[in-house]
Amino acid sequence: MTDPRTIIEKALSEGRYKLLEHEAIEIVKYYGAPVAEAVLAKTPEEAVEAASKLGYPVVLKIVSPDISHKSDVGGVIVGLKTPDEVREAAKKIIENVSRNAPRARITGILVQKMAPKGLEVIIGGLRDNIFGPVVMFGLGGIFVEVLKDVSFRIAPITVDDALEMMSEIKSAKLLEGYRGQPPVDKQSLAKIIISVANLLEENPEIESVDLNPVIAYPDKALVVDARVILKK
Amino acid sequence: MLEKFFEPRSVAIIGATIKEGKVGRVIVENFKKRFKGKIYPVNPKYDEVLGLKCYKNVKEIPDEIDLGIIVVPAPVVPTVMRDLAEKHVKAVIIISGGFRETGTEEGAKLEEEIREIAEKNRIRIIGPNCLGIYDNWSGVDTFFLPDEKMRRPPRGPISFISQSGAFASALLDWMAYRGIGISRAISYGNKIDVDDIDLLEYLGNDDKTGLIIMYLEGLKTGRGRQFIETARKVSLKKPIIIYKAGKTSRGGQAAASHTAALAGNYQLYKAAIKQAGLIEATSFDEIMDLSKILLTQPLMKGNRVYVVTDAGGVGVMLTDALTMQGFELPRTPSDLKEELRSILPPHCIVENPIDLTGDADDDRYIKVLEKLLPRDDVDAVVVVALPQIPGLKGKIFDYLIEAKKKYGKPMVTIMIGSEEAEKFKEYLEDNGIPAFESPERAAIALRALHEYSMFRKKHEG
Repeated sequence: MTDPRTIIEKALSEGRYKLLEHEAIEIVKYYGAPVAEAVLAKTPEEAVEAASKLGYPVVLKIVSPDISHKSDVGGVIVGLKTPDEVREAAKKIIENVSRNAPRARITGILVQKMAPKGLEVIIGGLRDNIFGPVVMFGLGGIFVEVLKDVSFRIAPITVDDALEMMSEIKSAKLLEGYRGQPPVDKQSLAKIIISVANLLEENPEIESVDLNPVIAYPDKALVVDARVILKK
Repeated sequence: MLEKFFEPRSVAIIGATIKEGKVGRVIVENFKKRFKGKIYPVNPKYDEVLGLKCYKNVKEIPDEIDLGIIVVPAPVVPTVMRDLAEKHVKAVIIISGGFRETGTEEGAKLEEEIREIAEKNRIRIIGPNCLGIYDNWSGVDTFFLPDEKMRRPPRGPISFISQSGAFASALLDWMAYRGIGISRAISYGNKIDVDDIDLLEYLGNDDKTGLIIMYLEGLKTGRGRQFIETARKVSLKKPIIIYKAGKTSRGGQAAASHTAALAGNYQLYKAAIKQAGLIEATSFDEIMDLSKILLTQPLMKGNRVYVVTDAGGVGVMLTDALTMQGFELPRTPSDLKEELRSILPPHCIVENPIDLTGDADDDRYIKVLEKLLPRDDVDAVVVVALPQIPGLKGKIFDYLIEAKKKYGKPMVTIMIGSEEAEKFKEYLEDNGIPAFESPERAAIALRALHEYSMFRKKHEG
């Protein structure tokens, strides 16, 4: 596992303030958050190899310091079930990106194990100039984007604080399960919230973190996408 | 640490003057009226100010000075600060404006200059650009508003920290008019040194302060975590009511992440308020409502509230208001129902809210409350005793005052009406039973008491 310091220093030395997705995932994982396993591949063949190691189905995502909305340039293909599909998809992504963002530098393709369906939540963190590290919790999609139904705490926080954050949002009942769904594993979500607080606490260069989505299940939670922004 | 600000033995007022209506004169007048220590006016233009010997320079005063009060124009303040440093004065209130708040480079530079002098000489500063301190015990009063414009409140347990001078003086005047007692009030202006945290710490350890009200616009950069820590410690000793002004978010600013886009200033303050165990008031009315309940009522053990009323409609209003604030209005348990049925006429309603109806009298209330108050499954009682009904003479109110001592259980009353209602209300409040005109306000105040009680319970273990 790569040390967060090495990742951050490398990014800064290259003048990058937004970590590449695999770097962000690596850091989050270092702080103990369970992540959907991912491997960076440089070629379609490497992607196939990575996929067989991770297990199918997988998703492929373009990794480039110049692209922040990956889907908009055709840089994401999901639900790949065989080596052939992975190989074709990898080629397709490179083709899409060279057409839609011809000037973007391509670091590689991230091969990530598809997370099964579950309840999507967002966990975030931020360094505020008055309060220092703060953490955020909310449900994904319209809950956060339209209704802004989120809760905050100032770090450091305890597991109880994290659980309280979850019960505080208006849509909290969805965490308890609805339409016959079992409740999600709040303890696991609490641990992820605390890991975000810790990574901000220990790395003063980090300005903000979005784990979006984190998928919550009855017995666990998985970070599927991570964005880490460094201070300019 | 801050004793010299609040209980100095001697003060020097630099910029004292005899000119009518000037800040430098009002402050000397204030001190002459109430301050028990020694007062030394300083101004090179006078030999005497309002009968007190006036000194050309603070350095000439043949006495130790505990507190310096500066009212001279901003450009002169650094010179005065150097004089005070030479005189070994360690506490200074700078009333003068004309610093960073002007948004000018000149103002910011002056502020930086006095900060440096203070740091080098270990002088603590309140201000600049502030009203300073009103202390009802020592008589320190730098609120430069004359008595006829701002009345001084009587002594009492409430202390007040305000980022706004105007709000502080308006509130003092308002409280004075209503006879609400104040301990100490502080307006700290630009807070280049002493800030909310220092003041909370001081008032937290102050035996004469039973409750703190804070008007806050914003904390100093990097002080958020310390604020939470200190406020939490103080909250375990006494309630702190906070009014956070400036609730609108950073707004419109392009943010690099979802979290940054959603983390409005007020959202973070709300989190901090909760984590620190502060009690948020969201309006001026609430500041007062929350103060009176938190000052007078014991902590709640749970959230089960019973309502006893002579007005069915108000009972329903209360049920709605209390439920909306998260309270449980339990159904009257069967044993209590039986007891109540045996003492009440058949037309009364024994289900919670307990309705004694319009033909109730004082004794009917007392009988019911005697059954209710001793019970462990009753955490608070709201008594609606609208005085319009003929049977209500006022004995019930004497009973409530006694019952508060006897049972130590939170009790509030609803009182709606004209002169008679006002008279009862005053009587109750003088004796530590809050009376509210509106069920909604009572419910909000009770919720604040409940929140504070739960914070204390959680952290005291």
